[in-house]
Amino acid sequence: MIRTILIYLTILVVGILFFVSMVLFAIPALQESTLVLPGISHGAPGSGDGSVDQASLEKDINKLQAKLDKFIPTDAYIIINTSENHFYLYKGKELIRQGLCSTGKNERLVSEERKKEYVFYTPQGVKTVKGKQKNPVWAKPNWAFIEEGLPIPPPGDPSRFESGTLGAYKLTLGDGYMIHGTIYKRFIGQSVTHGCVRMLDEDLEAVYNTLQVGSKVYIY
Amino acid sequence: MKDHSGEGFESLFEKKRNGVKIFAVIFFIVIIGLTSVYTYLSIGVVRDRMQVAKSQAEGTAPVDPSLIDLMKEKAWIESRLKMAASDSVGLSIDLEEHMIQLELKGVVVMKSKIRDFSTSGFFRRMDGNVYFNMFGSPLTIEKFESSIEKNPFKVVIAPKNEAEAEAAVVKKDSVPDENVFWTVKFDRDFELNIQGIDSVAESQKKYQLGKGFEFERDLKNIASSFEHILKFSKPVYTPEILISIPENEAKSILRALPRKALVTIKI
Repeated sequence: MIRTILIYLTILVVGILFFVSMVLFAIPALQESTLVLPGISHGAPGSGDGSVDQASLEKDINKLQAKLDKFIPTDAYIIINTSENHFYLYKGKELIRQGLCSTGKNERLVSEERKKEYVFYTPQGVKTVKGKQKNPVWAKPNWAFIEEGLPIPPPGDPSRFESGTLGAYKLTLGDGYMIHGTIYKRFIGQSVTHGCVRMLDEDLEAVYNTLQVGSKVYIY
Repeated sequence: MKDHSGEGFESLFEKKRNGVKIFAVIFFIVIIGLTSVYTYLSIGVVRDRMQVAKSQAEGTAPVDPSLIDLMKEKAWIESRLKMAASDSVGLSIDLEEHMIQLELKGVVVMKSKIRDFSTSGFFRRMDGNVYFNMFGSPLTIEKFESSIEKNPFKVVIAPKNEAEAEAAVVKKDSVPDENVFWTVKFDRDFELNIQGIDSVAESQKKYQLGKGFEFERDLKNIASSFEHILKFSKPVYTPEILISIPENEAKSILRALPRKALVTIKI
């Protein structure tokens, strides 16, 4: 009895395996082999409508390439990879420095008591350096107090201002986002910030000295 | 008496054996019949797809095969220029040069060497007009699926006081053993599959065996085949491009690309 059941089961399994292998491998292979159009490189040379020739095509390509190259800034710019927490500092087409940085932690801070919500992420896109400052003082926003479970002080309160937290330099990018230093150096290379880009001291100094107000910042 | 009962047992055994044989034959006839019908429908749908592509390309000037490489180069740059006009991150893939890159406003922000790739026969056998109709301008992503979360976002409840805030320990990001595989469907009805791998051997192993996300895709494929067989309807044929790149780069591109991103491809 058991032997008979096993035989039936084996037949079923073999049949199903046959069907699955046909669906996954054999039929797709057969589909590929039935395509009938000639390949892109095939056909009689010289056919076509004669409206384009090699010289005009080459001219067009050079023009278009020149147009595309104009998008690359001729002065210094920086690229920030938020997924790998890595930065690349360029001058024209030359990479002059690269290293680790920290970017937004992709977090939504919900304060149920205060019915407030803060979103911490580094926005992607092209930004420009709006301003540069040495020895910046951090004006702590409300979320910095909420995150620490502290009461929010009134605007201008001395407890809102901290020196040294942002390192020796800051470059503002608009909408409250900045490139700055950090006292939490062990977290460099991780997604831990509230949206700003944090760098190690030497990297920050190089970036500060290289980028000018108006320089492009590419974030992806 | 003894001999008689022996004969009865033998005939019963013989009957059972015949029953198994009949079942096996009928079962395999049914399976082969269904598979044949499905194969016929599957082949028909490929021809239909190619016909659709040809009819869409109808009316365009015939392409001179001797100029095809230059025309492809021109279409590639033109398409990237159109992408540069957008404010979002775009993807450009040059299969001839084994290169995949992210572009933002015309600037290449990330470049990766393609380790391995394969394309459906549809792409290898299309003529020049079909090629330019398909790749002559940027493609738009219509559907995104991935083995890992595209944009992971954590929700944190603010601590009620200082003690609660101190209790929340800062944890270092763990690097889980993720199998990075993502797939997009374009507005021109074909798919791009990106697989994160660290060696070609690994890529072949992963793709053949299929595990996790890929295995789910295979299961869906089998289930959909069954459905089409039962309904005697034509299955869907979607040409594919499979690209293998380093895992961290596959992840970076996935996270950087907007859901409706523009993509330029050169084959």
